[in-house]
Amino acid sequence: MAGSVSSAKVERQIVAAVPQAQVPRRFLGLQRGLPAAGVFAGLLLVAGPLLATVIRSLLVWEGTDAHPSLANFSRVLSDPRFWEAIGNTAICGAGATVLSCVLGFSLAWLVARTDMPGRGWLEVGNLIPFFLSPYVGAISWIYLMAPGSGLLQGFFLRHLGIDLSFINIYSLGGVVWVLTLFYTPYVYLFVMSPLRQMDAALEDAARVHGASFWYTLRHVSIPLVSPALLSGALVVFITSAGLFDVPLALAQPSGIRTMPTEIFAAVQYPSDFGRAASFGVMVLGVTILLTMAQRRYLARRRFEIVTGKGYRPRVLPLGRSGKVAALLLEAIYIGGAVVLPTAALLMVSLSRLWTGRFDWAKASLANFEYVLFNFELTQGAVVNSLILALVGATLGVILAVLQAYYLNRGNPRRRGMADAVLSLPLGIPGIILGLGFLILAIRTPLYGTLTIVLIAYVARFFPFATRTVSAMFMAINPELEQSARASGASWGQSMRWVLLPLLRPAVTAAWLMLFVIFIRELGATILLYAQGTETISVALVLLSDRSSGYVAALAVVQLVLLLLAFAMFRLTRTSITQA
Amino acid sequence: MDGNMDSEAFVRVDRLVKSYGTHRALDGVSFGVGQGHTLALLGPSGCGKTTMLRCIAGLERPDSGTIEIGGQVVFDAARGVDLPAEERQLGIVFQSYAVWPHMTVAENVGFPLRVRRVPKADVTTRVARMLEIVGLGHAAGKSATQLSGGQQQRVALARALIHEPRLVLFDEALSNLDAALREQMRMELKVLQNKLGFTAIYVTHDQSEAFGLAEWLVVMNGGRVETEGRPRQVFQRPATPFIARFLGLNVVEAEMIGRAGEIAEIRLPQGARLRGILGDGPAPATGSRVLACIRKEHVRLGQESGLAPLEAELRASSFLGLTEEYVLDLGGVELRAVQPPSGGVPGDRVAIAIRPEECVVLPA
Repeated sequence: MAGSVSSAKVERQIVAAVPQAQVPRRFLGLQRGLPAAGVFAGLLLVAGPLLATVIRSLLVWEGTDAHPSLANFSRVLSDPRFWEAIGNTAICGAGATVLSCVLGFSLAWLVARTDMPGRGWLEVGNLIPFFLSPYVGAISWIYLMAPGSGLLQGFFLRHLGIDLSFINIYSLGGVVWVLTLFYTPYVYLFVMSPLRQMDAALEDAARVHGASFWYTLRHVSIPLVSPALLSGALVVFITSAGLFDVPLALAQPSGIRTMPTEIFAAVQYPSDFGRAASFGVMVLGVTILLTMAQRRYLARRRFEIVTGKGYRPRVLPLGRSGKVAALLLEAIYIGGAVVLPTAALLMVSLSRLWTGRFDWAKASLANFEYVLFNFELTQGAVVNSLILALVGATLGVILAVLQAYYLNRGNPRRRGMADAVLSLPLGIPGIILGLGFLILAIRTPLYGTLTIVLIAYVARFFPFATRTVSAMFMAINPELEQSARASGASWGQSMRWVLLPLLRPAVTAAWLMLFVIFIRELGATILLYAQGTETISVALVLLSDRSSGYVAALAVVQLVLLLLAFAMFRLTRTSITQA
Repeated sequence: MDGNMDSEAFVRVDRLVKSYGTHRALDGVSFGVGQGHTLALLGPSGCGKTTMLRCIAGLERPDSGTIEIGGQVVFDAARGVDLPAEERQLGIVFQSYAVWPHMTVAENVGFPLRVRRVPKADVTTRVARMLEIVGLGHAAGKSATQLSGGQQQRVALARALIHEPRLVLFDEALSNLDAALREQMRMELKVLQNKLGFTAIYVTHDQSEAFGLAEWLVVMNGGRVETEGRPRQVFQRPATPFIARFLGLNVVEAEMIGRAGEIAEIRLPQGARLRGILGDGPAPATGSRVLACIRKEHVRLGQESGLAPLEAELRASSFLGLTEEYVLDLGGVELRAVQPPSGGVPGDRVAIAIRPEECVVLPA
């Protein structure tokens, strides 16, 4: 019966005819292309300025001709000022690292393992300095301890009869002190989770077998957290030694040379880019070596992390005097890093004319009024900082999501390489990356625009966001996306409805982190700003020798923005440890 | 209807190859399954069965071969056809369930309808109906993370079925459930399949799951199809020694000494003679090495009329309740038997009997 072909069969023949007509491969392009583009953009952002710096360091100008030479290096290496600067920077970095480790470990241990009163509040309080600007911190400490006019000096002299004038804040000691205050939270964050998750049995075993408390701490507890402590220490050393802000405020005024301030000086009129570039290349070499050493060390140690199972570590009762001592340490830290600087800033900003003493009767908001409504420089600076932070954080997070996708779902053979290159900027001081972009942009229309500052910000700090997002990505089972695809969602839809919602805590944390960093950034900006593109931090530097009242008022404005971001962290319930 | 009628196959896989570096995960795999039927891919871990499933789903890109679903070519290396997963119109249940933790149960289940732009009101009623079917009617508003493993499995199942796909894939979908729950789900799946009429492909390493669910069984080994057939047939007449071992049969080396039609006569190493049915394919020559495959349940303790008794020594026993498992020594050859408890103790000499129709003789 030729006419009785079943309808099902006809249908099947029709369906079968469709795919032969076309070759559908459209979505693969987006899925592979977009993450790869994110990685490629990251590579360009890292490689561009670094290559520019290396190439510029190898060029010597004669008249209008450039020729390759090592003369820049030999000039720098034979310059005693270079060695002086390197030596001072090493002292600052090492001092800040040792002190931050001691302070960070102690504070984390007190919060995690003892019955110190108010642990819940102090746990958060210890992290506030993480969000504040070290440059503003340094300025505040000048207000507090400047020889002769410091608030704290005056207080001690008048009320306690103690003369503190022997303490000079404009010194390496002052730099180390302020760096310590601001880098302690890094160590604190690193050691907190091993201290929390450490299997109590490890310590109990030592006690049962006859070890005293201190012996156990020294021979069991500290060695167990030492991988975390060491990687925290390396991060603190690299970032604190490369920080421009604090030496600018505290070392430069008394003529103490440091690495970042020397690089800054070399590009000021009469500029010597060859010197700056060769200086930068040598610093880069050291930081890259240190970063690589850290990566190798961590890769080896990764699986030795204290077991997560078992009982929660026991809480140690401190006793009366122990509690007093613990709270005193907390008071010194939070007082020194947050309360005193903020109080000093407020006092100075509320005084029309700063004389070293605060008078309630003469308090006025005149400085704020001027800074916010009447002064073009500071008004522009606030707007610029906000634009940079909002746009920069958004761009950085977009880049981070794409890169994290590639690092977790991309070609397995290329991931390791990509990861290594993309995390390079973590160890590069802002001023050196800024120098690279300055060399790249100086003869282009980009020079002097907000865009170049924005590019430098994203280039220097996107790895923070990438790491944050990637860490969370690792915990997401690929089957969660795959079942979306199998349910009929395109790659874009599976990203929008499944992956991004799952990543949202990390994305929020990364965005806030970048916002905070960009609001206060100084090292890269100071080399790239031009008239009209000043940021808050740059304006603070420019005003610093004009009026302390304006500086303080502007610093308070910045502080409010940073504390807002901190509050957002708390409100969105994202954890800083994610960042 | 035969699950393997190639001309009518709903899913057809032809000479599929997939390599990871130098490792061939799939080495020319072909099979088919008819519309509305159920096929199980069975094999030890690493045999390529999950890779196979992922290739069908479009989550993995094979190197060569073709895949056809419902008469539509979804993958053909030669012609460059590779339909992305979302265009293959199927459902999948993963071993991990992959229930999205940021969505409620209803949102999870409604997802396939949402991406298909089904009107909201429709989605709501269809989700409610589907949740009713899988027994989660009360849990629609719950967060997916509040559910137990068995409930999450039902969510994943509902999600795989809601858009009425023609083909549903199950990747070790029942392995994470406890025994009682697994038994219940297995029965429910059969009922659901009868009701909704989808074609199903299961991947599993658990033979009882495969036997219980599938009408057609494909046993894989080292990236190849070792054998395929109806579960009963695969089980009762293991086609290769690999399958016999994988199914837990006794596999004993022997020598071929003669044959009468289907029945082969063989000699065990210690001299005892045994008769068994020949497997498919050419019969082994007299004097060649063969393998005798006997289910544990078919190694019978005691005499049987018409069979020459074999004498063995009881080495160990383990009480299993309704049955008891014995380790027997038959002249240096170890045999395992599962029989009703007899109360024998290690060291006892016991008589055993093996029926010819319960012993399969395969070429070594």
